Amino acid sequence: MPMSTHIVNRRGFLSSSTASITSTALLSLLMRDRAVLADSVSGEAKGLPHHPVQAKRVIHLCLCGGVSQIDSFDYKPELEKFHGKSLQSEERPATFFNQVGLIRKNDWGFKQHGESGLWVSDLFPHLSEVADELTVIRSMVADSANHTPATFEENSGFRLNGFPVMGSWVSYGLGSETDELPSFVVLPDSRGLPAGGTINWSNGFLPAQHQGVAFQSEGTPIHDLFPARQLPDGQDRDSRELLAQLNRKHLEETGVDDAMMARMHSYELAAKMQLAVPKVTDLNQETTVTRKMYGLDETETADFGARCLLTRRLLEQGVRFVQLFSGGSFGSPRINWDGHEDVKKNHSREAARMDQPVAALIKDLRQRGMLEDTLILCTSEFGRTPFTQSAADKVGTGRDHNMYGFSIWMAGAGLKHGMAYGSTDDVGWKAVENPVHWYDYHATVLHLLGIDHERLTYYHNGIQRRLTNVHGEVLHGILS
Amino acid sequence: MRSISSTLGLLLLLGITFSRSAVAEPPDFDHLIAPLIARRCLSCHIGHEPKGGLDLSTRDSAMTGGDSGKVIQAGHPDESLLWDYVFSDEMPPKKPLSDAEKTLLQSWIASGAKWGTEKIDPFRFTTEHRAGGDWWSLQPLPSPSPPKIEPADWDDAKNPIDAFVYARLYAAGLTPSIEADRRSLIRRLSFDLMGLPPTPDEIHAFLEDKSANAYENLVDRLLASPHYGEHWARHWLDVIRFGESNGFEYDQPRNNAWPYRNWVINSLNNDLPYDEFVRLQLAGDVLRPKSIDAAAAVGFLVAGPHNTTLPANEPMRMTMAQDELEDLVGVIGQTFLGLTVNCARCHDHKFDPISQKEYYQLAALLSGVRHGERTIQVKLRKDDQQRRSNIEERLVRIEVELDAIEQPIRNSILSVRKSGQSTGSRPPHALATWEFDGDHIGRYQEKRGTLNAKANGGARVEDGSLIVGGKPAYVATQPLSVDLGEKTLEAWVTLDNLDQRGGGVLTVQSLDGLRFDAIVFGEREPKKWMAGSNGFVRTKSFTGIEEREAEKRSIHFAIVYREDGTIFGYRDGMPYGKPYHSGTLQRFKSGDVQILFGMRHSPVGGNRMLAGRIHRAQLYDRALTAGEIETSFAAGDLNFVSESELLEKLTPEQRQSREMLVDEAQKLNIEKEAIQKSQRQTLYTCVPQNPGITRVLRRGNVTDPTDEVAPAGLSAVTGVQADFQLAANASDADRRRKLAEWITHKENPLFARVIVNRLWHYHFGQGLVTTPSDFGFNGGTPSHPELLDWLAQQLVRNEYSLKSLHRLIVTSATYRQSSTTNAKAVRLDVDNRLLWRRTPKRLSAEEIRDAVLVATGKLNAHVGGKGYRDVRHFSFKGSNFYESVAETSLGAKRRTIYRFTPRGGRNPFLDTFDCPDPSTSTPQRATTTTPLQALALMNNELIFEMTDEFAERVTRKSGDNLAAQIRRVYLIAYAREANDDEVAFASPFVAKYGLPAFCRVVLNSNEFLYLR
Repeated sequence: MPMSTHIVNRRGFLSSSTASITSTALLSLLMRDRAVLADSVSGEAKGLPHHPVQAKRVIHLCLCGGVSQIDSFDYKPELEKFHGKSLQSEERPATFFNQVGLIRKNDWGFKQHGESGLWVSDLFPHLSEVADELTVIRSMVADSANHTPATFEENSGFRLNGFPVMGSWVSYGLGSETDELPSFVVLPDSRGLPAGGTINWSNGFLPAQHQGVAFQSEGTPIHDLFPARQLPDGQDRDSRELLAQLNRKHLEETGVDDAMMARMHSYELAAKMQLAVPKVTDLNQETTVTRKMYGLDETETADFGARCLLTRRLLEQGVRFVQLFSGGSFGSPRINWDGHEDVKKNHSREAARMDQPVAALIKDLRQRGMLEDTLILCTSEFGRTPFTQSAADKVGTGRDHNMYGFSIWMAGAGLKHGMAYGSTDDVGWKAVENPVHWYDYHATVLHLLGIDHERLTYYHNGIQRRLTNVHGEVLHGILS
Repeated sequence: MRSISSTLGLLLLLGITFSRSAVAEPPDFDHLIAPLIARRCLSCHIGHEPKGGLDLSTRDSAMTGGDSGKVIQAGHPDESLLWDYVFSDEMPPKKPLSDAEKTLLQSWIASGAKWGTEKIDPFRFTTEHRAGGDWWSLQPLPSPSPPKIEPADWDDAKNPIDAFVYARLYAAGLTPSIEADRRSLIRRLSFDLMGLPPTPDEIHAFLEDKSANAYENLVDRLLASPHYGEHWARHWLDVIRFGESNGFEYDQPRNNAWPYRNWVINSLNNDLPYDEFVRLQLAGDVLRPKSIDAAAAVGFLVAGPHNTTLPANEPMRMTMAQDELEDLVGVIGQTFLGLTVNCARCHDHKFDPISQKEYYQLAALLSGVRHGERTIQVKLRKDDQQRRSNIEERLVRIEVELDAIEQPIRNSILSVRKSGQSTGSRPPHALATWEFDGDHIGRYQEKRGTLNAKANGGARVEDGSLIVGGKPAYVATQPLSVDLGEKTLEAWVTLDNLDQRGGGVLTVQSLDGLRFDAIVFGEREPKKWMAGSNGFVRTKSFTGIEEREAEKRSIHFAIVYREDGTIFGYRDGMPYGKPYHSGTLQRFKSGDVQILFGMRHSPVGGNRMLAGRIHRAQLYDRALTAGEIETSFAAGDLNFVSESELLEKLTPEQRQSREMLVDEAQKLNIEKEAIQKSQRQTLYTCVPQNPGITRVLRRGNVTDPTDEVAPAGLSAVTGVQADFQLAANASDADRRRKLAEWITHKENPLFARVIVNRLWHYHFGQGLVTTPSDFGFNGGTPSHPELLDWLAQQLVRNEYSLKSLHRLIVTSATYRQSSTTNAKAVRLDVDNRLLWRRTPKRLSAEEIRDAVLVATGKLNAHVGGKGYRDVRHFSFKGSNFYESVAETSLGAKRRTIYRFTPRGGRNPFLDTFDCPDPSTSTPQRATTTTPLQALALMNNELIFEMTDEFAERVTRKSGDNLAAQIRRVYLIAYAREANDDEVAFASPFVAKYGLPAFCRVVLNSNEFLYLR
């Protein structure tokens, strides 16, 4: 039973159900190079990784609202021909608003880029420059065309509240490479949290240390990092020292107890965190050239740019998983990619905020040699329809949600670069070749991290839960 | 364990087989062959798409064969493909049959392969891969007797629990630990039963109690405390994943979900029998249609997340509904039965004997459940009716008597005043006028005494003005008993500074602060006045001038709200900028409207607080004209006779009788309010609809419905009839009534086993079964099966009294053991499953917060009520957000169980200490140790404020003597005395940094955070 878990050390946590106190337990607490996973029922430790590791850390760019695949990565020249016509299909398309208008061609031009000749639209001029780094999946499918269930599925594999998200699973599986920072950090859009707020980085039923820690943009980045009051010099240091002594004395009375010893250690780690967090979040330590590259000098890109730059700095310090949100909650006026009214206007605005910073992040990681073992994921919960959301005889300007076929991309460790996997039909409505479900995507991400998605489990109420539920096939076709 | 026991069972059967086959009789199919096929073949060879096309579950399909043709040649094993595969160990693939099993199969085929009961029930027997109907937890409750133990050991044992536990310990070569010392015991018991630490007095009393029953008396006292219900309700709410918002995209608050929480607390405190406790949660509204308690109880059915973002597309909506239904079926199965019925939505359960069809039968029982609110009118009791009419009569008389005293004097004051100067037209007549005079905050001018306003956070009256300081100072009135539609707000105010952004001068708001209209300064535009409203829905710029004078002198500002939604601003009697149209007028209902001064809207905090002086304010229940505003401004204070003026002119006798009358009126009004309030209650509860017809959905797919099912239970649960004789279109009421009967039936063995184990789990840190919500194949097996069954029997015999069960458990010697460790026991049983000692427990998140509040001596021990909010709720683009508010600004200091728990607004402090996600059922919390916990407990503002108060409390009692202070801190925090060494050790630190700093260290120490 994982009823007590003590995060204390690099890359792992020790699980034990009682105060079993042996020198080996203490050794485990201080063990730094091996992750120890406890199976919740048997108590058996299962070593990770399960197989060779490609990626050591993950960046997830979570684009809220639904990015139009046919305007970004899924080039459909046929749309030109079908523009203004109705969809040729036996079934009436299922969409969120059930307003099925006429087909609209892509609003941006497409070009082939780089040596690979990957198709990327003019919506992303900067990303186009790093097209050879990208691995595009054009045949994604989801089970919901409703934002929040779809977003939950994108992040946790389930459509309901209360399941751990991928960052939590990865933290649970691999722990952190640093003592001094949380293993799973979330950087929300400065315009607002995604709908549901903290639900989006819940640890669900996993132990609390695997919850995403959302860095606050104002005040200290982490809750309670420093005393809420100004203290006299030396008080904090002396308090910690006194605390350690009280605890040592108490331990002499009670006998050795690993949980209590872990708690003593946690105060030392907290002190280290107080030094590490301000340091890692101080972007002024970067050169002007770097800051400019990430777009910190321009209003439009400053927010996302700062978060991309912070991401790199967090990864350098050993954070395992950073999730950035592009876009906040739904409703009007839009502050995310949910282009019901006017995709051209909406996507132009959203892309302008993140295109340059993301391209800069990729280039920067490449030049620092970090891209070889870092995995970048860029996803949205679903795509958009090739027909517009309008009256049946109109070509409107907005597009509705489409869960039947959409595009995401990945970059970095262990992938075939400059490729596109799978395809949709002629108009980009439904995935037809190599459909990829979120389960498959999750399985692949875990695979790249050295984790067998069927073996990373946690017992909860009768079920050995997995990120991939009872599904998931690793996409060997995109692996290098 | 399980594979060994099933193999043993098989060997026993086989023993019989050999003797029979010796006389060449055909083996009994139903008793010998069917179990063999079920256990070893049917995992694959059954159903719509059996492996190799071979279905061995029915005579026809078995005899017909599979893809390779016929597999059984009756009478000729050697010609039977089935025998070939089995004999060559090719089948079953991973673990071949034993020789004995092979012989059995061979002799069955040889003797003519006679079939017995038509279809072999694949769920009947437990196999290596799954549980069958013979699974341990599904068997009827036996009546085990406690094992015999040596008479000498009974000296230590306290009750039969110990006999069960000791027997296993001895068998393992272990012995129980000695009883813990009394200080540890009282601290342990107080936390385990009430979630709170003992007070120094309670500790003292227990230590001094030399009677033989001291311990038992303590247990009884704690079980009788109302804090018992609060603590155990928290456990229950974890299991049933109670949250107070919808979750998903919109995450709307459920402002009326709290009656369920209070109902749980009260029910536990009243020791409502567990079966009734459960019946009411499943069908209270059906069983007791008029009871407000029963309506609160079925809040259970709607405690989970609920998605209100509905797509236009029908199948999408149906899938969402099925997802939520699965969640509900899951919680019901796990909570009451320890069965994960939810796993059978898309296929038969992979591990437990539950078919997909049965999942839909059970889901059908709940398919009438819908989320909603009900306002329940409760008929006033006769005596209350009488009391109310008495009060009303008396109020009228008081009014008359007061007029008799005041009117002559008021008239004379006004006539003197008016003879000096004429103001022309009469100022308009206000609904209420507030003067800030003397020690009265103010009162209604017309209805004396109804205004019971309370000054908070240091708001005070001085020189005829209300002073609000920008921090948490404000004044709030009692609910008004008038409906407000059209209205006018008017105030005379001076500001402390013109740079403040967002403070409210005068506010009309709903009691929850979610709807309000207010005179607000500087919020959206610096230095400008605006009509503040919730989410700015009625707020636009007046485009008035920037304020330059309000710092130096009193400014008159008024806002007029007209029926058509138009809003007018006036400054010093003249139009302020331009009026605008706001959409609709906000209406406020009598009883749910109050007035605030100095705060834009509740809760306290943020930029909502005004820094300034309010001299006077008036509220009108109509929209004044520009002329009237001008007159009112010009009249200023002239028409109002202030409290002090009045008092000055009254004779001492008049003053005294007036004061008595006003006091009496106030008391009566409060009483009347309480009576009226008790008449209606809005609850977030189950509002059932016609459940319709349920069909099995192939692979759980809503677009692929198959057979219709009747609502029914699970056949695997022995002892109770699963067929409820309900029609497929039975009413929701019939369905839930039957469900409640079935679950709580005395012969349902799971019902008692599961709850007994939950109680054990919370007392010992782990259950006899370590998976409290799963008694199926994937769950744990009981460490002491007979003890579990014995306890379950005790519960049934004691008419499901949970308090009796608690008493039984905590008075056992097993519970009272010390937590001292020993090397041999660690080596043999590191997890302490055999209970050779007490396992130390870290306090839970709620226990930590509550214990810190107790240490200050300022815990608000009020039981029940609406609870407190440590989040600021706001809507943004249709979604609802809950931003953490510093707890220190709340002034709540209530127990954590009363925290409003929105799903998207978790409390970081509590979260860090493993307070679970309210969207997921949590039958056992993890206990983690992280640096974030250290940061929270060292640095959070709560800790500083509480340690200040803790130290102050200690100093009050112990004076300036450092040693006495340290001793007192130890006693309160650790429930023990500090020894001289400890005092000497801590003294330099206390001398250097002060007592609060020392308290902060103590509240972070292991001795405080762990129960031994």
